[in-house]
Amino acid sequence: MEALHKKDARKSVFSDYDYSNFYYGAGEDPVNLLGPFCEWYEEAKPNGYYLYSEPLSSAPATHVRVRNGKTGALHDLLNLASYNYLGISYRDEVKQAAVEAVTRYGLGASGSPILSGTFDIHEELAREVAAFKGKDAAILFPTGYSANVGFISSIMRSGDTIFCDQYSHASIVDGAILAKSKTVFFRHNNPLDLERKLGGVRGKKLVVVEGVYSMDGDVCVLPDVVDVAKRHGARVLIDEAHSTFLFGANGRGVAEHFGLDKEVDFHLGTFSKSLGGQGGFVCGTRDLVDYVNAFGRSRFFSCNLAPPIVAGLRAGLRIVEQEPELRAKLWSNVAYLRRRFAEEGIDIGKSTSQVMPVLVNNDAKVFAVAEKIQDRGLFLQPVTYPAVPKHRSRLRISVSAAHSEEDLEQAVQIIVGVLREEGICRP
Amino acid sequence: MPSLTRYGYRNAISGFFEFPTENARRILPASLEPVELHHGTSIFSMTAFDFTESEVGAYGEVVMSVIVVPLVKAGERLPKSAFYPYLVATTTQAARAHAIERWHLPHWMEDVDIRFEPAGRKLGARVAADGAPVAELTICDYSWDPVSHLYQSFMRDGDKSYLAQITMEGEQSEHEEETGRLRLHDHPFNKDLVLSEVYDVPFREIWMRDGAQTFQPLVQLETA
Repeated sequence: MEALHKKDARKSVFSDYDYSNFYYGAGEDPVNLLGPFCEWYEEAKPNGYYLYSEPLSSAPATHVRVRNGKTGALHDLLNLASYNYLGISYRDEVKQAAVEAVTRYGLGASGSPILSGTFDIHEELAREVAAFKGKDAAILFPTGYSANVGFISSIMRSGDTIFCDQYSHASIVDGAILAKSKTVFFRHNNPLDLERKLGGVRGKKLVVVEGVYSMDGDVCVLPDVVDVAKRHGARVLIDEAHSTFLFGANGRGVAEHFGLDKEVDFHLGTFSKSLGGQGGFVCGTRDLVDYVNAFGRSRFFSCNLAPPIVAGLRAGLRIVEQEPELRAKLWSNVAYLRRRFAEEGIDIGKSTSQVMPVLVNNDAKVFAVAEKIQDRGLFLQPVTYPAVPKHRSRLRISVSAAHSEEDLEQAVQIIVGVLREEGICRP
Repeated sequence: MPSLTRYGYRNAISGFFEFPTENARRILPASLEPVELHHGTSIFSMTAFDFTESEVGAYGEVVMSVIVVPLVKAGERLPKSAFYPYLVATTTQAARAHAIERWHLPHWMEDVDIRFEPAGRKLGARVAADGAPVAELTICDYSWDPVSHLYQSFMRDGDKSYLAQITMEGEQSEHEEETGRLRLHDHPFNKDLVLSEVYDVPFREIWMRDGAQTFQPLVQLETA
């Protein structure tokens, strides 16, 4: 690892090596993988990787208390890193519902959903989610990851073909692997490439897209995708992890936003983003839910969602239905931040949602930028290759309805100040 | 044989393209594993060199490869990536004889024509064999930095397997902007590829200029 001993350690650590270098190791012992990685990580961590997994000791609200991963000191920071898009998870009525559920049910479900782990409140939440989405039925999963893995592998088989956007979430990719289907990746948000790849493919076909893509914050070009898929006899699954409860007249998601609720075959969402809770779900016909209940292994072989979480989610869902002004406030915040970033010359790529990448576009510098930003009071994480393409390093912002305009302006000032100092944006 | 073999180049352009893992496995010996970009999608690479100095003088070379799992050992320098060149072609007979003898690289046994065509911030390489077009590769630049990167190249000759450690030095532009292009022609040169299944836009482009490619002595591997 001679490259690590160059004069500019931070630059060489991040420009010459990244996680992708350590995926393989020599020999016949799996433990051989550890040595090269740990040797690199020992140097990478103090140079920036400490910014990942810094522990919070407060609710993921607009301001958080964070223990610095390098110094161990506690800092109170403005938070634009947590999902919690509607600021719901720490509302009193949500916490109260969870407390009451703990009192009534205890901590966990103590069983698989298909055996002893389904409680009355699981059934109630599933009914309420289905009603909210305007579908016949819904099925709950312990996480969003589990929902994609379990759903895709429950309906697709060896010999079938799954067409995924190249920027698909890992849970979609892993679901396709578990399904043992042939997997074809089309260019990001590119229906023409999807059409090219669907051409001539026979057998069962599933096209998988996301409502909002989690690293770029851009919205799926769903009308074109659905048109192409239908012309080729493919079914469409939309993962609305980052768009359920936010987009559309009723908050059902991007499919509703485009008036394509009925044209999209399978609707998947999560409770961890907009509601700030945990879990995932799939909505559709009763037949679909019954089948996934029988064949969704990631759910089948996991403990069911913990009752206090379920109770909190039900309270959160009620807030979403009763306070549409939260969505209006979120979109007002998004508009404010977009306008201010444009005025200051900050590049947020193709984002049109509450997920905004502040593009640093320098893999060697992004950790130094993130470190400075945190030192000045703003909690944000860097995202770099291989999670995003080379030279597309960024700081990922999650805007919340709970942020005030003052919060957002403070964030803009910190970000602009650091990016100008680092020569990332114009003075 | 000298301990190190050096080849100076003016330009070396590489495009990395998605193609089906089934195709990769048909090309690779059983002992090598393709690196998958996604599940079911491996990486085909085409590199064109414009060598200006070597033991056999100046010449052009095109290398068609599959990206494979490297041989990584604790305490040793990590390779940037590993290649299995399944077909190499050169513009001179001397270069071909040298590479076959010293590196056991599989070759197209006639001289090919390689034309480098600079156009602003792009560099194209137009390859023809037997008077017919084989491939046109275009790579675009991004930003330039001096680098020294280690690569591995696996070779197979009969029942013997070899590994070469190769250092690439020079100015490098590397990016994933998807601005390059590849056109592969229906030509016996490309018989190992299902042309319609090789994506024509590289997900990664590397352009190196004014540098040297240095081979360490070839190592015979125990793997059959």
